[in-house]
Amino acid sequence: MERRRFLHNVTYWSLSCFFVLHWPFPSLATSAQAQTPQAGKPLAKVGIGKDKDYRKLVRQVIALIGGMGAFVRPGARVVIKPNISFDRPPEMGATTHPLVVRTLAEMALEAGASQVRIFDRTCNEARRCYQNSGILPAIQGMDDRRVRCEYIDRRKFVTVPIPQGRVLKGWDIYRDALEADCYINVPVAKQHGLAGLSLGLKNNMGILGGNRGQLHRKLDQNLADLGTIIRPTLNVIDATRMLLRNGPQGGNLRDVQVNDTIIASSDTVAADACATMLFGRAPDEIGTTVAAADMGLGIMQLNRINRIELP
Amino acid sequence: MKVKPTSIIFRRFSQGLFLLIFIVLFLHTDYQGQDEISGAVNLLFRFDPLIALAASLAARTAIVLVLPAIFLLLSSFLLGRWFCGWACPMGTLLDCARPLLSRKAGVAPAALPKLRYILLVIILVGAFFGLPLVGFLDPFAILVRGLSMAVYPAFGMAVETFFNLTYNHGPAWLNHLTEPLYQVLRISVLPFDQKVFALSIPAAAMLISLFLLDLLHRRFFCRYVCPLGALLGLAARFAPWMIHNRKPSCTACGQCSDLCRMGAIDQQGQVNGERCILCMDCVTGCHARQFTFGRTHRNPVPVAEGLSRRAFIGTTAGGIALPFLFAVRPMKLYPEPRLIRPPGTLPEEQFLGRCVRCGECMQVCINNALHPALLEAGFEGLFTPRLIPRIGYCEYQCTLCGQVCPTGAIRRLSPSRKQEIAIGRAYLDRNRCLPYAKGVPCIVCEEHCPTPEKAIRFREVTTINEIGQEVRVKQPYVVESLCIGCGICENKCPLPGRSAILVTSEGESRRQPSIEGNGYTLKSPSWKTGTPTDKA
Repeated sequence: MERRRFLHNVTYWSLSCFFVLHWPFPSLATSAQAQTPQAGKPLAKVGIGKDKDYRKLVRQVIALIGGMGAFVRPGARVVIKPNISFDRPPEMGATTHPLVVRTLAEMALEAGASQVRIFDRTCNEARRCYQNSGILPAIQGMDDRRVRCEYIDRRKFVTVPIPQGRVLKGWDIYRDALEADCYINVPVAKQHGLAGLSLGLKNNMGILGGNRGQLHRKLDQNLADLGTIIRPTLNVIDATRMLLRNGPQGGNLRDVQVNDTIIASSDTVAADACATMLFGRAPDEIGTTVAAADMGLGIMQLNRINRIELP
Repeated sequence: MKVKPTSIIFRRFSQGLFLLIFIVLFLHTDYQGQDEISGAVNLLFRFDPLIALAASLAARTAIVLVLPAIFLLLSSFLLGRWFCGWACPMGTLLDCARPLLSRKAGVAPAALPKLRYILLVIILVGAFFGLPLVGFLDPFAILVRGLSMAVYPAFGMAVETFFNLTYNHGPAWLNHLTEPLYQVLRISVLPFDQKVFALSIPAAAMLISLFLLDLLHRRFFCRYVCPLGALLGLAARFAPWMIHNRKPSCTACGQCSDLCRMGAIDQQGQVNGERCILCMDCVTGCHARQFTFGRTHRNPVPVAEGLSRRAFIGTTAGGIALPFLFAVRPMKLYPEPRLIRPPGTLPEEQFLGRCVRCGECMQVCINNALHPALLEAGFEGLFTPRLIPRIGYCEYQCTLCGQVCPTGAIRRLSPSRKQEIAIGRAYLDRNRCLPYAKGVPCIVCEEHCPTPEKAIRFREVTTINEIGQEVRVKQPYVVESLCIGCGICENKCPLPGRSAILVTSEGESRRQPSIEGNGYTLKSPSWKTGTPTDKA
């Protein structure tokens, strides 16, 4: 009798626990989509500025497009997604400049953000990338409990369907990025063998799980498809140093051009198009930009972009 | 409950302290946010006189790295095997496991006590003549290897599994409790990334077998097998401070003989200094208070149990002969192409002699790239480090393996020096590589190639894809003179299963260029051919 009762109990409890506890998160995918649909706007607004003082520069350029208050509402949970892919020091131009990231975090707090998270799924070993890119030390230097530079937690990838995707129908995406109230995309502008240039749309790969290399088979369309799900509230392209050759890793200062430029826009495609010009190339040379514009994710025609430049 | 006497408490405190230091150093053997590691478990090995002797004999030089071992040896000349009883983490763990393994001791064969001396002689003679055995028998090597390759990763896996479960299936209130705990564990004791190891089971089995041997006798390994203990025991023959029996009043009741964990006391109550580890059990355990620790008047050691002259000569001859059995294998002429050694590794012969198979380079390897070799480097190369690029690649700016190697088998290199050293070279498998085989874009390898001037480049060509369309794709190729064999290309190749770009040890810097010639003419010196060679 004892054994039978025990088995009964075990079955009862495990089943009931399973049903009670097993509540998955099916609503995740929609939360990001709900953010500001911006396709179809007649004109995209892009702020561009050039200055040696990167802190000042970031503030001024964001001010051109309405200031941080336009993107971060009080109490918002903010995610800043820089490019920390490689184990390179900031001057090599392979990663976002730590001062740019830090200034954005400070501005988000000033605008009333309740928390700021900074992360990237790196290509090289994560700790080395975070450390040597200067981003982790810069954020730790802020010494503010609300701002955290976190390593990727593998458990947080959720499979997200991409209903509008033309080739990509779903992928594992980082939960914190999707759930953020304000997602700030902060790529570094650099050359990339396959994509031509690595800019805002390419930077989205840093919140993807799985075997990302497989996306390279149809990289342009895959990135455009991802763009339907990952809709940054704000894009800040760091072109303070531009890696012109041997990207996206670089490693030689000869390949880096110091440009002291920041581009900011809520339209990823428009920001990318403007950044492309800095490399002396036309936006339609970059397949990713073309594919994304074709999907209606933003505006790439330069005559339809309202470029506001710092004096 | 009985209060333990002070000397026992002192001993246990000392054992606990050393074990704690060992564990802290072990957990510290990892990237710590700087290129230079500040302290690692190699400290233990540098105090190990057996490893110092064996590696120095193999290298035929005094290895500066292992000089601290002299302190331990000298202390044994004064105090005998104090280290075994008061400090050795392996011994402490065996003592800790005692309650689980207690069993009535059997009778040991009479020849068993000689075993450790036989092993010691074979290890040292073999080391000199080219058969490296020390790593298979040294207690620290077995311990660190077992921990780093099996116990620690398994521990990490178990903890991660638990927190995965609470995270994925637990309710929110539970996660409020478990997640902070998980973050604390991640920072303090968990490995940063879950690692896997090629020979985790054999490494664990060796470690576990030491504990199982305890079923036969208390501290069986320390008594009969440990060659380090044998070496310290030899020094103990000269030790002036020892535990000894105040003869006259002893009734030879034999109680101490049963009490002694090392079997160092015979039925007459005589203490064998070569086995005694100063655990103080007899000093506190004898009802008649017969035993004291202090200066002995040197009577010629009556119970010394060394080898007879015949046994010594026989063992030595064995130690000389054995290496030649290993020498007659094709490995000498044709090195295994997939055997990729970490950067800074000495030329193969010297490396095998110096490497103590401790597994520290694998423990510290930031990308889980280094794995123990099975037979890729021959029988004697078991447990030596090899890079398996598909599992992990050599991080371009990282030099940790050379920093933790206790014997300099992997040299310590500056990052810039390391980046010049080729550990192998990549080649493309065009039957699998997508742009070649299917006309599909990819070049993930080119993207990740870390050399500032890319060793993997691409050509844009027009080709026909699988369905007969004419397409323009970028096809990668390897620039041999720039490739350092780090293996990131093989690691990141997005094909499932086997990579389409593979690294072999061909072109590694440490190989003497003359050997690669046609056998009749010596090749021109390296500065003429332009290959970066690497002289120690």
